[in-house]
Amino acid sequence: MPSNSDASSRLRRLFLAPSWLVLVSLMVAPLAIVLAYSLLTRSPYGSIGKPWSLDNYSRLADPLYLAIFLRSVWIAAAATLLCLLLGFPLALFISRSGERKNLYLTLVILPFWTSFLIRTYSWMFLLRDTGLINSILLRLGLIHQPLPLLYNYGAVLLGLVYGYLPFAVLPLYATLERLDPSLLEASADLGARPWQTLLRVTLPLAAPGFLAASVLIFIPCLGAYLTPDLLGGGKTVLIGNLINNQFTTARDWPFGSAASLVLMAIVLILLLLGLHRRGEALL
Amino acid sequence: MTRRDLLAASLALTGCARDRRPHLNVLNWSAYIAPDTVPKFEAAFGFRVRYSVYESNEEMFARVASGNSGWDIVFPSASFIPPMLAEDLLAPLDHRLLPNLANLDPAFERPVHDPQLHWSVPYMTGAAGIVYNRSLTPAPTAWANLWDEPLRGRITMLDDPTDVFGACLKRLGKSVNSEDPADLRAAARLAIAQKPLLRAYINAEVRDQLVSGDVLAAQMWATTSQQAIDESDRIAFVYPREGYPFYLDTTVILRESSRAELAHRFLDFLLRPDIAAANALASRTTTTDLAARKLLPAAFRDNPTLYPPPAIAALGELEIALRPETLRLRDRLWTEIKSA
Amino acid sequence: MKRLLALRWLPVYAAGAFAFLYLPLLVLAAFSFNSSKFTVWQGFSLRWYQAAFADTQLSEATANSLIIAFTATILSTAIGAACAYGLWKRTNRTLLGVVYLTLVTPEIVTGVSLLAFFEAFFRYLHARLGLHTVILAHIAFSVAYVVLVVLARLRTLDARLEEAALDLGATPWQAFREVTLPSILPAVVAAALLAFTVSFDDYVITSLVAGVGSETLPMVIYALARRGVNPVLNALSAMIFLGLGALVLISQALTRRAETPGADTK
Repeated sequence: MPSNSDASSRLRRLFLAPSWLVLVSLMVAPLAIVLAYSLLTRSPYGSIGKPWSLDNYSRLADPLYLAIFLRSVWIAAAATLLCLLLGFPLALFISRSGERKNLYLTLVILPFWTSFLIRTYSWMFLLRDTGLINSILLRLGLIHQPLPLLYNYGAVLLGLVYGYLPFAVLPLYATLERLDPSLLEASADLGARPWQTLLRVTLPLAAPGFLAASVLIFIPCLGAYLTPDLLGGGKTVLIGNLINNQFTTARDWPFGSAASLVLMAIVLILLLLGLHRRGEALL
Repeated sequence: MTRRDLLAASLALTGCARDRRPHLNVLNWSAYIAPDTVPKFEAAFGFRVRYSVYESNEEMFARVASGNSGWDIVFPSASFIPPMLAEDLLAPLDHRLLPNLANLDPAFERPVHDPQLHWSVPYMTGAAGIVYNRSLTPAPTAWANLWDEPLRGRITMLDDPTDVFGACLKRLGKSVNSEDPADLRAAARLAIAQKPLLRAYINAEVRDQLVSGDVLAAQMWATTSQQAIDESDRIAFVYPREGYPFYLDTTVILRESSRAELAHRFLDFLLRPDIAAANALASRTTTTDLAARKLLPAAFRDNPTLYPPPAIAALGELEIALRPETLRLRDRLWTEIKSA
Repeated sequence: MKRLLALRWLPVYAAGAFAFLYLPLLVLAAFSFNSSKFTVWQGFSLRWYQAAFADTQLSEATANSLIIAFTATILSTAIGAACAYGLWKRTNRTLLGVVYLTLVTPEIVTGVSLLAFFEAFFRYLHARLGLHTVILAHIAFSVAYVVLVVLARLRTLDARLEEAALDLGATPWQAFREVTLPSILPAVVAAALLAFTVSFDDYVITSLVAGVGSETLPMVIYALARRGVNPVLNALSAMIFLGLGALVLISQALTRRAETPGADTK
C-alpha cells in the first residue's frame, strides 16, 4: 500500500516539523550565536564587533579563571559523590519495600519537581545566625555564639546535595530494581554475609546506575548559579556566577560566551566519556 | 492574586486583552519613590505608568543597553552617564518642559558629568559609610575599623565593586576615582586581606543581622542604614574619617522613548517640591531638590545620616565614570577578590 | 533473601533521608504561620498570607507566571508530543541528539544564549524582550521533557495495533487519533504537568530574557530572598509548594496508570 505509507511519512514529517523549528531556532541557533560572539571583540562600553580573534579563550587561560573552573569541578564532584553516598542506601531501601515502592518513589520525586528556588531559600532560613538550627543549639546551651553556617562553600555544597539527591536515588533505584534476585541468593547460599553480598555483588551490578546518576548530578552542579549566589554570600565564585556576571554586570558578552562554551565542552566531553546508557532514568 | 488579575490573565491568554492606553515605562531603583507618586502622576496626566525596579546600575545598563528595551525613563548614577552617552542611549532634555528644575540645590546644578544638565536631572544623592550595632565599643570611626581582627566573622561589606574599591582606596588615602592600576591593585590586596574577616559580601540583607547583633559593623549605604535606624535604636551610622565615595542618582530619558514629552512631564513631576519631599521621606533618602528640603519635617531634614553637616559632607568624593580599561581591570580584580 | 534484611538499619536510614528531604520545607511552612517576624514561635497567625495576597507586585508577577506557564505548557506539550510520536517508529538520531543536548545544556548557558539570540535578532526586527520572549524560552527548554516522557510511554506500546488499523483502511491520521493517542493521553497530560512546573519555577533563564512587564513570581521571590529572610516569603513558599506538589502528584498518578499493563499488550 504505497499511498498509505506515503501518507504515513507525510504525517511523520508534519509531526516532526514544529520540534525541528523550535529546537533549531531556540537551541541550536542561540548556541551558534554564542559561538560567534566568543570569537568577536568587545568595544570599550560593551557592544560587540570585529575583529575576530581567539582572545577571549586565551583570557580564560588566566590562572584566576582556571582556579574558578577547577573549584567548580571540585564542588560539583564533591556534591555528586555525597549524593551517591547518601542516595544509594535510600535506593536500596526503596527497591526492597515491596508494595510501598511507589509511595516512596513519589516522596523522592515530589520535592525535586517543586520549586528549586524555594528549596534553596529553605536552607537560608535554617542556616542563618538567627535561623532554626542556631536558635535550637543556643537554647540548648550547646553553643554560645551562633555558628557561621551560611555564606560559605559548605552551605553551597549542602544546597547542591539537597537539590540533586533525587537525581541519585532514581537511577540507582532503577538499576537495583532490575537486579536478578537469584544472584543475591546465590551469594548468600555460598555463605557470604549480607554486607559482603552488598559490596561484592550488589554494588558492582549497580555500576550503570552510579554512572547515570553521576552524569545527571554533575552537569547541573557544574553550571550551578542560584545556589552559590544565595547560600554563598557573595564570597564564592563558580563558573555559573562568572558567566552570569559577564553577561550582566561586566557586560563582556564575548568573554562570557567563551566561558559558556568551555563549560559546554566540559559537559559534552564528560558525557561522551562516561555515558553508555542514556539519561532517561532521569524521568 | 485578585479576581481582576485572574480575569486579566485569562483574557491575555486568549490574546485579546491589552490595555491600549499609552504607557510610560519607568525603571527605577527599588524603594526609591513614595508609594503614591505613580498613582498621583497617573491621575494628573491620564496616562498609565508601568513601573519596575532594579538593584544595581549594572543591571539597569544591561537591561537598556540594546537601545530597544521598551523603557522610557531610568535612574542611572552619575558614573553611568558617560558610558550611556557613549552607547548613544540618552535623549537630550528640553529645559522648557522642566520648569521645576529651578528647585534644584545649586550644589548640583553643574555636576561634572553633565555641566549643562543636557542629559540628566539630579534626583537623589547618597553615600556608603559604616553602619554598626551600638553594642560595639569603641564605636567605629574609620574604614580601618572594618579590618579589626576581633570583629572576625561579624563584619560585612557591600556586594558591589564600586563601593568595596571606594572604601579600600579611601583607606589608602587615594581618590575613589583613581585610574592608576597600581592603586587599584593595592586596593584589591587590601580587600583580599580583609576577606577572611568578612561574614559575607551582602547588601540590604544585612539589616536583620545587624539588629540581632550577629553582625557588628557593615559597609552600608546611608539610606539603607537610615531605614535600619528607624526600626531599631540599637543601630547607628558613621561617615568614615578617611573620606567616603558618594553617588548622585539622576533621571534620564532614553533615546528609544517615543513618548519624550510625557517623559519630561514625569521628570518635572519628580522635581515638584511636594512630590520630591514625599519621595525622600518615604525612601529615607537625600533629595537634591532644595525647595523640597524646606518641606521636610525638621527631625528628618536635620538627621546626620542623610543630611550630614558641611564638615562631614566635605569628606565625600563624587563617583564619576572611569575609563573602560580601568573598569575592565577592576572587574578582573573584583573576580580575584571574590574567588580568593 | 531473608538474610539480607540483616541490614536492619536501612529503614532507620531511610527515615532520616526523608526527614532531610522534607524537614526544611516543613519548618519553612510552619513558620509562615508564626505571628512574629523572627524565628521564635509567638503564636498562630495568617498575617503573612494576608500580606502576600495584598501585595500588588506579587499578584502581577503571579499573573505573569501563570500566563507564561499556561502558554508555554500548551505549546511545548503539543510540539513535544508530536515530536515523540514522529520519533517512535523510526527514530531520527539528529533530532533526538538535539533533544538530549537541550537537557544537558547548563541552565545558565541556555539563558545567555537565548538572550544573545533575542538581542541579535530584535535589533533588526525592532521587537523587544517581554512576555513573549520568556514564553519562547520556556518552550525551548520544556519541549525536551515532554518528548522524553511521551516517548517512554510510546515505547511500551505495540506498534502493530496501528498497523492493523491502517490495514483495515484507516488513514495514518485516523490511526493516530483513534488508536495511539488515547493510550498515550495520560502520559501527555503527565508531561504537560511537568512542563508547567518546570516553567512556573524557572528563575535563571527567565531572569535573563525578561523585559518590560514580564517579571515572574520566581524573579520576585529571588529579589526578596536576596534582601533576606522574610515571613511573606515563607507563606509564598508554602503556597507554591502545595500547588506545584499537587500537580506533581497528579502527574505521577497519571504516569503510573499509564504504566500499569492494561488494555494494551507489551
